[in-house]
Formats: sequence, C-alpha cells, structure tokens
Amino acid sequence: MAGKAQYFIQGIGMISPQKTFDNQMFLEEITTYDQNVLTAVVPDFKAYINPIQLRRLSRMLRVGLASATICLRDAGIEHPDGIITATGYGFLDETEKFLREMLEMKEKQLTPTHFMQGTYNALAGLEAVMIKCMGYNNTYVSKGFAFENALQDAMMRLDEHQAAHYLVGSYDEAAPVQFIASIREHHFKAEPIVNLNLFDTTTKGTIQGEGAAFFDLTGTRHENTWCELLDVAMVYRPETKDHLAASLADFLKANNISLEEVDVWLNGITGDAVRDVILKELEHSDLKAIPQARYKHLCGDYCTVTSFALWLGASVLKKQSIPEVVKASAFETPKEIKTVLSVSHYMNRNYAFMLMQRA
Amino acid sequence: MNQTIEELTQELRQELIKQLNLEDMIPADFDENTPLFGEGLGLDSIDSLELVVLLDRNYGIKLKDPKEGRQVFHSIRTMAEYIQKNRAQV
Amino acid sequence: MSQRVFITGFGIITSIGKNTAENLASLLHRRCGFGELNVLDTIHSKTLPACEIKLFNQELCELAGVPNGKGYTRTSLLGLIALKEAIQSASLSPAEVRDAGLLSGTTTGGIREFERHFYELMDPLQKGDFAQFADTANPGEHGERMADAVGIKKYIATLSTACSSSANSIMQGAQLIKHGKLDRAICGGTEALSRFTLNGFNSLMIVDPNHCRPFDNTRKGLNLGEGAAFLVLESERAVIEKRKTPLAELRGYGNANDAFHQTASSPEGTGAYNAMNLAMAMANLAPGQIDYINAHGTATENNDLSEGFGIQKLFGSDVPLFSSTKPYTGHTLAAAGSIEAVYCLLGLQHRVVWPNINFHEQMPELSVSPVRELKQEVDLKNVLSNSFGFGGNTSSILIGLA
Repeated sequence: MAGKAQYFIQGIGMISPQKTFDNQMFLEEITTYDQNVLTAVVPDFKAYINPIQLRRLSRMLRVGLASATICLRDAGIEHPDGIITATGYGFLDETEKFLREMLEMKEKQLTPTHFMQGTYNALAGLEAVMIKCMGYNNTYVSKGFAFENALQDAMMRLDEHQAAHYLVGSYDEAAPVQFIASIREHHFKAEPIVNLNLFDTTTKGTIQGEGAAFFDLTGTRHENTWCELLDVAMVYRPETKDHLAASLADFLKANNISLEEVDVWLNGITGDAVRDVILKELEHSDLKAIPQARYKHLCGDYCTVTSFALWLGASVLKKQSIPEVVKASAFETPKEIKTVLSVSHYMNRNYAFMLMQRA
Repeated sequence: MNQTIEELTQELRQELIKQLNLEDMIPADFDENTPLFGEGLGLDSIDSLELVVLLDRNYGIKLKDPKEGRQVFHSIRTMAEYIQKNRAQV
Repeated sequence: MSQRVFITGFGIITSIGKNTAENLASLLHRRCGFGELNVLDTIHSKTLPACEIKLFNQELCELAGVPNGKGYTRTSLLGLIALKEAIQSASLSPAEVRDAGLLSGTTTGGIREFERHFYELMDPLQKGDFAQFADTANPGEHGERMADAVGIKKYIATLSTACSSSANSIMQGAQLIKHGKLDRAICGGTEALSRFTLNGFNSLMIVDPNHCRPFDNTRKGLNLGEGAAFLVLESERAVIEKRKTPLAELRGYGNANDAFHQTASSPEGTGAYNAMNLAMAMANLAPGQIDYINAHGTATENNDLSEGFGIQKLFGSDVPLFSSTKPYTGHTLAAAGSIEAVYCLLGLQHRVVWPNINFHEQMPELSVSPVRELKQEVDLKNVLSNSFGFGGNTSSILIGLA
C-alpha cells in the first residue's frame, strides 16, 4: 500500500428533522419547530423495510434501517464488509417502555420486545440480519464522541483493506425521558423558541434534535463519491480556547492543510450561552476570517449530531453549493469549494474536528 | 361465565392482531387453523414469548417451559383449546 | 502498523473477589458467587439466583477511593475499582495515564440508578440526592466518569455490543495501538446488576432458576452476575522503552456477525467459527496451536449448541481443552469478555485450566465435553476467549505468552 490511505464517502442516507432523506434535494424545503424538540421528517418506510419486519420495529429502528437502505442504494452496493454504529442515548423510548412496564407491573408478566429493541446495538444487529452482513460489527455509545469513534474505527480498517466498504451510522432520538431528565442541568432551553432563531438567543440550553445517518466509507474513489474524508479528531474537555486552538492547529498540520485553505467551516455551536463560550471564542479569533456555516438550528442538538455536519460538508462538496439557510452571515459562495472543516462540541465536553475535501 | 370456543377464537384473533401488530399482514385466507409460525403467518420466537405473557395476563395460565408453547401456539384453534382446558376456573 | 500489543497489567472485581488475588483464590477452590440477591432490591431475589457482589455502593466508593454521594453509579464504581487495580498493576505514571485511552464496554450504563429514581427524575420539580443521577440513562456517562476520576484525557470510547462489549473494547484498544494512535489503552467493561436487566433476560425466558450448567444436556439458561475487569495494553515500543516485562501478548482478535436473529445464534455457530478463525489467522496460528478456549458458554440452550458446533467445525477431531467460567461469576454481560480475559491471563500465569463447574450430562449433539476438574501444570501457550452477544455479535480474542 503506497502513500497515505484515503477515505471516501460513496453513499449517504440521512434522516433528520429536515427533509434530507431525498439525496436529490439539498435543504430546499425547511421545516420549522417552535417547542424546542425537533423530530425526524421520515420517508414511507414500506419502500425500505419489508412488512414482516416492520410490524414490530420501533419508530427509531425504522428510521435507522431506512437510512441504511437509502445509503446502500445511493452507494450502489449491497454487501458492505462491516457495520459500525454510534449513538448517545440509544433507543431511549424503548428503554422507557420496558422500564415503565417493569415498574408498573412490579416486575411481573413482562414481554421482551421493548427490552430487546432498547439495546444499543439493535440497529447494527438488525441491519446485519437484513442484508446478511457477517463481517465486522460494532457499536459505540460514547456520548459526543460515539460517531467519531465509529468513523475512526472504519478508517483504521480501511487502512488495512482499501477496497472494503464500511457502513458507518449513527442514531439518536428526541426522547421525552432525556428531555425531562436534563431539565435540571439545563441541556435544553426553558423558554420555547423557534428553531431558526436558535443563534439569536442569549439563554442557557439548546434545542433537542434527532436523526439517523449512514455513510458508506471506502478506501477508493468512485464516480458516486460525495467527498473525501481526510481526518477526524477528538478533544476531551479543553480547558480554554487556546487549548482547543492548539489542538486544531495540530490537527490541520497533521493533514497538511492551512487555515487559509479552508473554504468554509461548519460551526457546531448550539445556541447555549454558557456551553458555547469556548467555541465562540475560537469563532471570533482563529476562525474569524473563514466563511462560516451553522446547522444545529436545523437538526437540533444530540450526541451524534456531527453526522449531520458530515452530511452537510459532503453535500456542500458534492453539490458545490452552500444553502443560504446555513450561512452564518451573508458571503459569496466560492467558485470552487475544495475544503470543509467541522468544529463542534457536545455539552462543552466532547469537542471534535472533521476535515472533508472535494473528491 | 362460560365462553364458547368460537367466542374465544374470535377474542384471541383480535388480541393477537393487537399485541403482535399484525394489522397490515393478515392474509385473506387467515383463519383459526392457519399455522401461526413458519410457513403460515411467519411469527418468530419473540412472538411466542409475547404469547406466553398474553396467556398469563389474560387467562392466568403460566407456561413454564417455552418449548411447551410450540404445540400450544400452533394456531388460534390450538391456543383456544388449551385455554379452555387450563384456564383458572372461576 | 506491525506494532505488537502487550498486556502489562489488569484489575478485576466480581462476586468471587474484589481484586485479582481474591478471584484467583476462589477459582482455585471452586468458590462460586451464587446466592440470593440482597444488595439489589427485586421481587426475584429468592427465585432467580445471581452472582452479586455483597457490597453496598457506599462500601464500593471506599474501595474505589471516591467520595460517596457524588453521582457515581454502581457501574462506574465497579469499573473504577478494576481500573485502578489495572493501572497500579501495570505501574503506569500519571502522565502515562493521561495520555492513555480508556475503552469501556457496558450494556446499560447507569440504568440501576435510573430505574431506582425514575419517577423522581421524571418530575423536574422534585429536589433531592437522586438528582446526581440525572444523566445515568446515558451509557457513555460511566466512561467519562471513570476517565475523569483517574485523569485519562487522550481517548475515550464506550462500546456496547451487548454481551461481547468488553471483548470489543479490548480489540479496539489493540487496533488503536497497532495504528499508532495510542501507546497505551486500558480496555475492559463493567456491569452492575439491575432490575431492568434481570427482568429483561427473564422475559426472554432464558434465566435458570437453578445454578447454570454450561454445555450440560439439562441446561436451562443463564444466571446473571456483576463485575468489572480492565486490561492495560501497551505498544511494543512503550514496553521496550520502559523495559517492562509484559504479562502476555494480545496476539489476535476477531469480530464477526452471525446475521441470523436479533437474540439468537445460528444453529451452526457460523459467527462463533468466524470470530475464532479471524483471531487465529491474525496470530498466524493453526488450530493445533491453541491450548485452551474460555468459552462464552452462557448455559442457554441456544448459545452452547451454537458455540459447540462452531468449535467442533473449527477444530475438527482435535478440540482443545475448553470450559465456561460462568458458573463461577454468573453472566456478567458487558464485563464478561474482560473478566474472562483476566481468567485466561491467570490461567497462563499459573499454568492452570479452570473447570466448567456444574457439568454432568453430555449434550448428545456434541462430541466434545468441557474440562470438569481443575487442571494444573498445563503447558499453556495460546488461549482463546469467546464473547458473543445479542445482535449477532461474536468476538474472540487470542492471548499468548509474551
């Protein structure tokens, strides 16, 4: 194997609070929300999952399996070499159902369906059964790092087998249990806002989102390729902006990219006046001169929300356009968009960088 | 109150459709003798666990060994017969 | 990328011992962890035997060296106790700990606390001590908790592939080292008993009301257990630089999927076969070079049959010594892979093979049977440890003398 290994996104299936499941569209219809909870705009599941399977599946498992199918069809492959998924809270609605039933029935006469479907690897397992994928299978549940862990896992495997295809996915649902349990720590705003105004707010907390996404990651370029994923990195609990900036500088250097080469950066701020502080400082200093796009007003905040950023970056690079709705301020879209950088955080603890390039 | 076997099969049919989310997949020729598993309706091992709980919750019948279920849950008819034979007499 | 990966330390807590020495003594003296549940509050305490650690959370806080009442779940506490023993046993400096990776497997994170305080947590107006457990429905919470408690900064991953979780965290730690992303990875898993899990498995009708009997013809299911174990993995470079004598080498690993059913293994044991085969291929070893298999052996009808066939298919007429240690510890789910890896390491160190307790009647479907009595003075060089889980996950790791 000569030279540095490369990673390409050959297919995407994205189901989010915007109509993203149709890969022909790119944020042309925008859905607005006014209760701080953004839920997935879903396709007709019958087009993706057979009825016998469909009948028992929870909503989020349907969303997850459908996004995997969309991705495989988009990539034009049927048999990936492995499946790697990521989630923060998993199928919390199912967990809640089993938990409530257990408490209400006082541990008697319980049925297993919600228990089974509440397991974090249920999606990776069911997808494997559905497409008979007997290869590598893994699931990460590391809060705001889960999706990055999954991407890195696939990338290391591609270093060993360039021609392989890994189905890398993420899912998280806007579960009422999470919303209520996190009121005490103000994860979500106390006052209802309109999602599109998220970045104009000055209060603590963000808005709850959800989504399922799958990416076909492979080591070789193809006519369908969306973009090249250059690299991914994580920073755990940086103490200051300078700490974060130094990590970013190391990351860019390791990839031989200078900040000036970045055509647009995706800012993962959440609209939380307290938790956004470090990233905002970076925005106003080191990254000040670079055209900026934002996305959490469209999809909300959830543990694996960087999958939305990867979809956004890949779409910008493939379609060579930047929808107005994501531009942080008016700027002219560059003639050629070559390099996209994503900088994000989850709960001011899990910071992550991704670098994408036009393929 | 004594329930006839016909009433019981009718009741079971409704319950099954509800508990196992079968609305969209009941074939036209589905009747009380259609096998629930395998070539028939295509239910699986998890459904049979759901049925074990249904017997317990609705009819007070406890199946200790899941293997016993294979005969009992053959069809709606066999289920009804088993319930009639074993339900707690009130 | 040809970095070899060595094991330089480990730590463990189970129902048969709160550290390595106690576990070793129990293994040698056939002491099992079964009993009535009296730390966990459940209606099944007398009817479903389980392998419980007879210490309340306050006592676990002391063992873990963290203050009580600061939101440490039982999952985190068990994990921390094993993690700290592992760090100490590998003599890692604070700087080495900071730049290490932490990879922890879990099935349900802090669900034990979450289920206990569920109604209070679902009422935002209520105030009280329970609020420290607000985020325990998140499985990654325990990973960050543990990392924060010992000062790990460089890399954190929490994995959840049901009962193979910690085998996969060991694998992933090794992969990060091989690819030069880390010099040291501390990998394992932690599992606390909870009503959620106990009732979940019970609803699947695979919990034996008696003591579990892996590979026995009369087996009726598993018993649950709790515990944690962590292994310190170090790169060849790190070991040479520090002039350490490794305890063993992680020579291979394999992860596959059975792709058969959400909660059942294929009758032929295809996934089990593939996982073991991959591990042996990576280590470049032939079937004749494997001296022992620590089987997943949960004692469910389905697992033991599937795993047994997988082993027979791979090893043919020359099946190595094998046993399941689940009758000692119960099925510790996410922690089982790392706990059994530690038992393999203890076996290698002390040249013993652990017995498959409670085996009496041969399964007619299989032509092989597990080791019944403790075997001593065994010439062990390479051993496999299997861990399988719901979702079709099958994993196998191969540990050899360094």
